[in-house]
Amino acid sequence: MPCPFEWKTTAPRIIIVAAWLKRFGLVLALVIIVAALGVAKPGYLEFGNVVIVARQISINAILAVGVTFVLLTGGVDLSLGSLVALTAVITAMFAHPGAYPLIVPLFLGIAASMACGACNGVVITFGRVPPFITTLGMMTIARGLAYVISGGRPTADLSPAMKRIAGDLAGIPIPVLILAGVALATWVILARTRIGRHIYAVGGNENAAHAAGINVRRVKMFAYVLCGALSGLAGIVLVARVESGQPDAGLGYELDAIAAAVIGGTSLSGGVGGVGGTVLGALLIGVISNGLDLLNVPYYYQQIIKGMIIIGAVWLDRRNATRI
Amino acid sequence: MKTSLPSIVLLLCLAAGCGKPSDPEKTAGSKPLVIGVSLMNMANEYIVNLNDTMTAEAKKAGVQLIVNDARRSAENQVRHIETFVAQKVDAIILNPCEVDASSPAVDKALAAGIPIVNVNSETQSKPTAFVGSHDEESARLAMEYIAGRLKGKGQIVIMHGYMGQAAQLKRDRGARDVLGKYPGLRVLAEQTAEWDRAKAVSLMENWLQTHGDAISAVFAQNDEMAMGALLAIERAKKKDQIIVVGVDAIGDALQAVKDGRLDATIFQDAAGQGAMAVELAVKLARKEAVKPETYIPFQLVTKDNVDKFLKPASR
Repeated sequence: MPCPFEWKTTAPRIIIVAAWLKRFGLVLALVIIVAALGVAKPGYLEFGNVVIVARQISINAILAVGVTFVLLTGGVDLSLGSLVALTAVITAMFAHPGAYPLIVPLFLGIAASMACGACNGVVITFGRVPPFITTLGMMTIARGLAYVISGGRPTADLSPAMKRIAGDLAGIPIPVLILAGVALATWVILARTRIGRHIYAVGGNENAAHAAGINVRRVKMFAYVLCGALSGLAGIVLVARVESGQPDAGLGYELDAIAAAVIGGTSLSGGVGGVGGTVLGALLIGVISNGLDLLNVPYYYQQIIKGMIIIGAVWLDRRNATRI
Repeated sequence: MKTSLPSIVLLLCLAAGCGKPSDPEKTAGSKPLVIGVSLMNMANEYIVNLNDTMTAEAKKAGVQLIVNDARRSAENQVRHIETFVAQKVDAIILNPCEVDASSPAVDKALAAGIPIVNVNSETQSKPTAFVGSHDEESARLAMEYIAGRLKGKGQIVIMHGYMGQAAQLKRDRGARDVLGKYPGLRVLAEQTAEWDRAKAVSLMENWLQTHGDAISAVFAQNDEMAMGALLAIERAKKKDQIIVVGVDAIGDALQAVKDGRLDATIFQDAAGQGAMAVELAVKLARKEAVKPETYIPFQLVTKDNVDKFLKPASR
């Protein structure tokens, strides 16, 4: 790809700009939105507000990274909102002050969601049930389990160590550090490991991947288990943030997560996308919500503006990508 | 008074072991009154409390209740009433699922000449009597409390429930009634947090960022959102400057009021509504006149009186 700032190149300028847009369209959209908000609302670009936005996107971004893996294999996971609730309820139950060391509620919470993710994977790969149906079923099963385990009531009274997960470390919110760790680790998996390459191969063309000797079932299992584990992690962050484990938590989170991934360039039909774009997508959604709240835009208009900005950002991103 | 009851009701009475009146003084020489009850949803804690008090009240009055759970379906509710009509019960208590869809239930009871009492929520069709609480009043009480604490002068932010829902609209109307009385109270910002605690935390963070120290009080239309706002304010170390008030008196909120974190919440009186519904149904079954509408007041809960409410809620 030509460097955008080498104006002496023989290619017409428009194509150079377009090529640059192809790579950075979403970043550009984000910059435009942030600049507009900065002008409209002095104080928007303060460090304090940047930290707030980062904190607010962390849960959705962790979920979106998880679902990116599933989308890359050509699947989908609708159960992650319910997995958040299941983990939240289990974690809160074992996190009362003086009950168990912090590792116990964290381990049990994530283990529950991973187990559900593994069930998704088994039914999809061995049972050959479409991912949409399997994870739709798991969505209600996990929600039901959350209600049964909690008796329908929220669980409060959490240990200080548990609440601390929503706190700061050296001025940076711990949820943001968790997100950074997750993003880095998953980026390495996708870009630098064999399983990462296999995920793209399976999503790109499942039959070809199989013919090339890739264990397609193993790859898909990996994606659903990882998505389950990250849903659990997001559930833990949520518990700390609202200081209670609620069986009705995470309603509709799956749509926000899938939206972030798709806005970030991950294809719903698999094989295309990545962690970087997904985090940017989550950031875009978070920046818009935060900005509209700060400007005190009435709710009904917020809905309209949000939709238009999201379509506009992706349009800016994709229009040039397809033409060249 | 009905002279004979169909055999199915008699069988039910015998099976339930309450064929004999438990209060011989009131029902001397006659069979006990039978009241059919259709409840919206027994999975809801509030409705469970309503049912408990109605059952206790019926026992005291020596009448028999047949309680059915509609599980949120207005269609089930209509079917319940049809069965009650066939059973020729003496009166019906309806806790409607929906304003419009539960209306046929009321019509069918009235057409059969059986008095019907609506409890807690309304239907389009007018029942013989209604027992409930003005949702507007809950917000009015909350806002009056805020106005009192601020001495009529200050800047408020308001968290709404799902926009367009009956509870959101009514609570909004109630809050506005009070705001109109105090020109010194200014609404700095208002927004929905969809009754949700996590959304309320984010919204409050954003508000604290823009309005900073200008906010003197938060009115949240339910306790979940009030608790979310409270967490964000506590984390910003601004609780000493900002009053937070919610509505519903959920267990968590009552505990927070007791701990001196949440300033106030509003209690809706399930026991009062349930007892009044049974009382009216019994009177109507005996052909006595009753007021067409009875409103049970909401109660403001603050640190001073929270102990009274805390016990039944934290089972």
